[in-house]
Amino acid sequence: MRTFLAMLVAGFALSGVTGAQAYHRFWATCNSDAPTFMTTMTRDAAQDYANAARYEGYQWGGGCWNYDDVDSYPSDPPQETGTHGEGGDCSGLTFKTWRESTDTTRDGRYYWRALRNVHGPYDAASFRAGNGAPNHTVAKATAGVMDAFASSTHIGMVFVRSLYGGDQIVEAKCETCGTNIFYRTYRGDSAYGGVGRWGWTG
Amino acid sequence: MGLDRLTACVVAAAALLVAPGCDSGGHRPARLLDGRPAARFDRVDGSVIAFGRVVELDARADRCLAAADRADVSADAPAVERVGVNGASLTFANRDGSLVYACDGGIDLAGERAPPWCHTVVGEVQHHRVLDPRLDVLCSDRSRRPLAYAFVDPLPGTRWIGVRQDGYVELYEVLGSLPVRVASTRGIDAPNARASFEISQYDASGDELAHGEMEAAVAG
Repeated sequence: MRTFLAMLVAGFALSGVTGAQAYHRFWATCNSDAPTFMTTMTRDAAQDYANAARYEGYQWGGGCWNYDDVDSYPSDPPQETGTHGEGGDCSGLTFKTWRESTDTTRDGRYYWRALRNVHGPYDAASFRAGNGAPNHTVAKATAGVMDAFASSTHIGMVFVRSLYGGDQIVEAKCETCGTNIFYRTYRGDSAYGGVGRWGWTG
Repeated sequence: MGLDRLTACVVAAAALLVAPGCDSGGHRPARLLDGRPAARFDRVDGSVIAFGRVVELDARADRCLAAADRADVSADAPAVERVGVNGASLTFANRDGSLVYACDGGIDLAGERAPPWCHTVVGEVQHHRVLDPRLDVLCSDRSRRPLAYAFVDPLPGTRWIGVRQDGYVELYEVLGSLPVRVASTRGIDAPNARASFEISQYDASGDELAHGEMEAAVAG
């Protein structure tokens, strides 16, 4: 009986550790590598980059994901930066897709690998205001592929412009909805403004 | 000159060079950002009281609040105006209190925002608490040092929020039932868009209610 109880306790302890270890396994693959300075940045390549982040999840303040099409931690508490879950948040996904620098005065093109955990200095409101050297506001009517619509609390990039008032938007939306492409009507929503990235080469 | 004397002279010279460096920073400032004298709270050693008052918002936020957000913010909303040693801010809520805004003062290094405001943040409020500190690292102070702003939710009974700065504690009074927007030039990790603030909370008589590090990251 004593042995059984000891094994039971050990079993419970190990089952509790499993989640934490899995958490650690994902987080341990994230890194702080330097970005690669690029001379080019095309809207096609940006579409590919953002498209590859689909299904990888959402993490408040995050910017690290792998390419296994699964959100390792889909149920983190909202608005907690310290949970080390997978995925970017809306502004983190935009920052990485737009190849931006962590230095707001630099407007060059910096390629960040998916597992590089970086969010960047901008939140959605900063993007909407066009803050930072690489960003600027655009008229919503003219916003095209891989331009973005931002409100004070959210930003999503135009994946495909649609004919009927809305757009296919690639965005990191929330813990439960993750990162994906959704049909949205941000273009006609007064809370949203148009935002662009300087320096596309194609 | 012998080697020993030479060594002694070098050591003395080095000490002279180092000493002013140690003393030059880290002293209690005499004035706030706008030039007014920095008051102290005797119960907290080395304290500087940031100026704070509740005002009607009126047109104060016109230069920082986006047009899209204006409709949701009443012109007669109570706003908390603060001026500290390195930073200044304006905090107010939307009509139903579900969002809290802060206009953060400072220099925009990218040169796109004219003073006094360099950035605006919005925080979501639930049960009278802001969910995220809404860290802002886009501003710098007059010396062009990075400046970080964040919200602190006061505990029940808290009258003052203390932020450890280099050589002094900056005290922010809890005003207007709003989270307290604090500023700091310490503990900023700009490349990772993170900052840590050493925070103390004091009651009206200056007794410390809580003390700890607040880690914040840019998000959302």
